[in-house]
Amino acid sequence: MITVHSLTKEFKKLSSTTRVLAGVNIEVGKSEFVTVFGPNGSGKTTLLNIIAGIENPDSGEVLIHGKNPKDAHVGFVFQNYNESLFPWLTVFENIVFPLRIAKIDSKKQNEIGEHLLNKVGLLHSKDKYVYELSGGQRQLVSICRSFASNPDVLIMDEPFSALDYSTTRKMELELLDIWEEKKITTLFVSHDIDEAIFLADKVIVLSPRPASVKKIFEVKLPRPRTLDMLSSPEFTELRNSILNTFEYEK
Amino acid sequence: MKSKRFYYFLIPIIIICLWQFVSYFKFASPLFVPQPLDVLINLLNSMSSGTMLNDIGHTLYRVLVGFGIAVVVGVPLGLLMGYSSKIYNALEFTVEFFRGIPTTALFPLFLLIFGIGDQAKFAVTAWGAGLVILINSMYGVHLGKELRIRVAKTMKIKSFQLFSKVIFPEALPQIFSGFRVAISLSLVLVIVTEMFIGTDAGLGKRIIDAQLVYQTSTMYAAIIMTGIIGFLLNKITMFFENRIVHWKGK
Repeated sequence: MITVHSLTKEFKKLSSTTRVLAGVNIEVGKSEFVTVFGPNGSGKTTLLNIIAGIENPDSGEVLIHGKNPKDAHVGFVFQNYNESLFPWLTVFENIVFPLRIAKIDSKKQNEIGEHLLNKVGLLHSKDKYVYELSGGQRQLVSICRSFASNPDVLIMDEPFSALDYSTTRKMELELLDIWEEKKITTLFVSHDIDEAIFLADKVIVLSPRPASVKKIFEVKLPRPRTLDMLSSPEFTELRNSILNTFEYEK
Repeated sequence: MKSKRFYYFLIPIIIICLWQFVSYFKFASPLFVPQPLDVLINLLNSMSSGTMLNDIGHTLYRVLVGFGIAVVVGVPLGLLMGYSSKIYNALEFTVEFFRGIPTTALFPLFLLIFGIGDQAKFAVTAWGAGLVILINSMYGVHLGKELRIRVAKTMKIKSFQLFSKVIFPEALPQIFSGFRVAISLSLVLVIVTEMFIGTDAGLGKRIIDAQLVYQTSTMYAAIIMTGIIGFLLNKITMFFENRIVHWKGK
């Protein structure tokens, strides 16, 4: 469970101050998959960094399972898979890396690693290096890695934004497939509205900078999600009402 | 494939033709420019008689010991300088100061400390090659991807593991670039020390002895052998580089 309470953050430069977060409140319930949808430059990455305990807020509070984020076990998937995976390790070694540094015994490592690889259909690439895989497969490796250590919460920062449309849809299905197993509480940031709806139990819409929560939408589509839901009337209706919250400037 | 070979040998063939041309038409005194064929015969004779092999053995031994010391000292110190700003601050001035001074200018100092035996030659070589390796190892850490360190930190990695499992492999491509420069430099320094500090055997001694008595064929034969050894040392280093740093440029 993630609780974000009236978070504010400013970046001070020599001559100006930029307000990035203006009192953000977010509640992610246990085993919930929540997406944060907002325009580019709305402070989503800053928000994630604070939730992950990498940056400190000016005011406000973040609690993960009631703990300070620095003490919580947070799994992270970054947008840039090339710079977040370890190119000197094989696919398998990348996935079990968090287990290895936690000194989990190797039998358990094998079990977890092979299970995840099998789940995403990459077991045959186990001993390849990550640079031998396609972009989508690389990001799957980093998703598997984030699940491997069974964290309290998962945070994903636009993991699929570098991939093309059909690869993205495929990756979303793979992600949901792993997620359904343990339903780890997940906060997923996206600027792709279809993705934000398709994955989530709840879509949080952020305002442009300085960011605050504009509106929260419940997604009532049943799980497991299937691609034909993308064209269902419920989906289209929700999509329209989310888009209506944005006033377009000319 | 054929044209690749052709380009590979094109320039050496041009140089040998020019050389043949100059010596054949006596544009320079035969005392200073011997015939290429004479040099080749000299090279083959001194190889078959074993005298040159003995010199090569001594020179290679000094190169490997000097280079070995440079690696053992340069890599850890360079990594530490890249990693810790305290160590960087403590050593930056000293390193940048000595970096500009030709190692050969420090001969008297090395002779004073280590005497005229092999130890002085090892020390000169290790010093010159070590500085190159140290600086490249340091850059290796600086050039590493910030995101990979962040990823590892979100996994609650311990400082020692961060160093050995992330920062060190991340710096390896740059460390190997340093090795390649340093191995050639080691050969240069060993030859120069053999020429000017004095020794009973070594390619540098062979060059200087022949030079002093105007045996230019013997001198050029030894110089050409030095070039061949330098080429091979670089190829061997590249072989290990491609094996170990397999992800470089991918």
